[in-house]
Amino acid sequence: MVGSFGSISTALSALRYNQVALDVAGNNISNASTDGFVRRRVVGESVSSAAPALWSRYDGHGEGVAVGEVRRLVDPLLDTRVRREHAALSYLESSQAVLARVEEGIGEPGTNGVYAAMLDFRNGWQDLALNPGGDAARQQVLGRAETLAQALRIQVSNITGEEADQRVHLNNVVSEINTAAAGLADLNQAILVTEQNGTDAGTLRDRRDQLALRLAELGGAVTTVRPDGQFDVSIGGETLVSGREAGTFVVASGVTPTGAADGLPITFRIDASWGSTTLPTGAAGPGGELGAVTDILTTTLPSYRAGLDAIAADLAAGVNAQHALGYDAAGAAGGAFFSYDPLVGAASLQVAITDPALVAASSITGGGRDGNNADALSNAGDNTGAYQRLVNGFGTQVAALQRQTANQTALAGSLDNSWEQQAGVNLDEETVNMVTAQRAYEAAARLLTTLDEVLDTLINRTGLVGR
Amino acid sequence: MSIGRVTQRMLTEGSLSNLQQGLGRLARVQEQLSTGRVINRPSDNPTGTTAAMRLRSSMADQAQYTRNAQDGIGWLTQIDTALDSATSTVRRARDLALQGANAAASGPVSREALAIEVDGLRQSLLSEANTTYLDSPVFGGVTAGTTAYDATGTYVGTLGDVNRRVANGVQVKVDANGPDVFGNGATSAFAELEALSVALRAGDQAGISASINTLNTRLDTITSARTAAGARFQRIEQADLTASDAGMSLENQLSVIENADLAATTVDLKLQEVAYQASLAATSRVMQPSLLDFLR
Repeated sequence: MVGSFGSISTALSALRYNQVALDVAGNNISNASTDGFVRRRVVGESVSSAAPALWSRYDGHGEGVAVGEVRRLVDPLLDTRVRREHAALSYLESSQAVLARVEEGIGEPGTNGVYAAMLDFRNGWQDLALNPGGDAARQQVLGRAETLAQALRIQVSNITGEEADQRVHLNNVVSEINTAAAGLADLNQAILVTEQNGTDAGTLRDRRDQLALRLAELGGAVTTVRPDGQFDVSIGGETLVSGREAGTFVVASGVTPTGAADGLPITFRIDASWGSTTLPTGAAGPGGELGAVTDILTTTLPSYRAGLDAIAADLAAGVNAQHALGYDAAGAAGGAFFSYDPLVGAASLQVAITDPALVAASSITGGGRDGNNADALSNAGDNTGAYQRLVNGFGTQVAALQRQTANQTALAGSLDNSWEQQAGVNLDEETVNMVTAQRAYEAAARLLTTLDEVLDTLINRTGLVGR
Repeated sequence: MSIGRVTQRMLTEGSLSNLQQGLGRLARVQEQLSTGRVINRPSDNPTGTTAAMRLRSSMADQAQYTRNAQDGIGWLTQIDTALDSATSTVRRARDLALQGANAAASGPVSREALAIEVDGLRQSLLSEANTTYLDSPVFGGVTAGTTAYDATGTYVGTLGDVNRRVANGVQVKVDANGPDVFGNGATSAFAELEALSVALRAGDQAGISASINTLNTRLDTITSARTAAGARFQRIEQADLTASDAGMSLENQLSVIENADLAATTVDLKLQEVAYQASLAATSRVMQPSLLDFLR
């Protein structure tokens, strides 16, 4: 259509379009450092009223411009990878943080700690063998035995303390998963409704992406996109969010709501309107932070604690057996030196005697100054090798986790970089867009002025020739 | 890595993470320098940790062996001193017996004088046989009391070896069996001296001659006991030397594994410092410019 006022509306459409372009650039700039913000780009569409119809003829040149869409520059495939690698990173980081903390409490190698106490205890018996009649040497053996038992008990209490903390942590992670899942389901619904109304749901989508990423980090959740754009989320292969409905993630057994242990293995369940399912355990179960906490509570810490228990049990059994073969200062047969309850473990290790005269240093009856049993006791229940292996195993595990975490951090970092390349805001680019829109707006305004002058000429000057 | 589009956030995050890594390396070197150790926790070097623990164990053993050897040396020194005096004592008694044999006819007064000295020698031999080390009679075996012989010359100790562990699996006997050296009761050196004094008083020529013979035999016995103790002394001294040498060499090994090489670590610190400063400088340059600085 070439009408007198047609071009005015073309200029108007340009003014409108460029205002939107400025708006979008402004929004991008405002959110340049917002977490999870995906840059938008206005896609312009040139408007044409040319309608293909029989015998129709169109001799116009287009009717201006309109906003086609405000596109969010995301790549769903990249999002999926980012979520997956962040889940793995979160697993490693959580494990490493806990184990590193436990490791600090081990205090090896050094002049304190269990190992030094073991060596001191061993040499205490030798010192007693040098002077079996001396009360001081007997007292020293008892003192060193107490130090050793205490060192073992402290390590065990470090571990049990960490276990208690992690059980509470596990409950917290579960409740955060539930909050995130409910939020994600709400957003699914809100996005659907908003977009059906024809309104831009970019901000809601940003938030939903962030929740999906958070769920991956928390529980190794996998997000799949439905054809209608809604997100479905599953953990351990079981659906947690389906469209606008979210199930409830529950600790089925292992940890009570107050964070106590109930003696059963840790398992999880999802209760939802589509049924209640128990999740698989181990590698097929939840990942991310929750998987890390579960593994630490199921395997890592209990196995270290069992190692300490075995050491304490061997120590008590070995020393007690040899002690019973000797005779104390009064010439009576040696009683139990350590008390140990196999049901409780290393935490129950105690020195059973308090009277130095009851230490059975002698291997002959009659209370002589014989130190042969003390000499034999210095080798009884010797667990230095087992303890070395235990510490070495733990150290190796932490070191391996550190390496894996470093690798995974690099991998996740490079994926984040790719994501940022795609979705991040470049201020130069936005400035250029801004300048472009500004200039285009100015040009459209000039077009309007020009048209105005043309019409002025036509209307006010026509028919005045020769006047 | 191909970089298609660079955003301000990429630069910020990248700079931040590089700064963090640089600081982390600095902190690590700083820890090594301030603690003086390269292994501060098992994960720093699991193998090194095990080696360090084993070395500490051996060091503790060697230190104990040294202590045990020192104690043994104390015992054997006392034995040597006691046996040295005992030798002179018995030798003096034998000399007196020889004198008595010659002076058998010289009258009861001079014989009485000899007999009194022999009685005195018997007393000092008894106290030599009761020599103690840290309240334990060195000839008394594992007795709980503080004497090996009572005044009558009867052995009141409890027979039993007093051993000192001076190396892995090596035990050395550090006492001497009283009865083996001095005999016991009627067959003891003390009884022999008493017999001599009786013979002297009585002017019993045959008895005096017999005493000379038994005292000669006793001298041999004491000398051979002293030689045996001397041989054990040498063994124990050797073991002591070996243990302290081993202790020192183990300490060196431990230091190599556990301790930070000051020169190398300081150079490393400087290196990390320079790297950190470089990344700080790079960050400050990267953060500054944008197109807005050029468009007015």
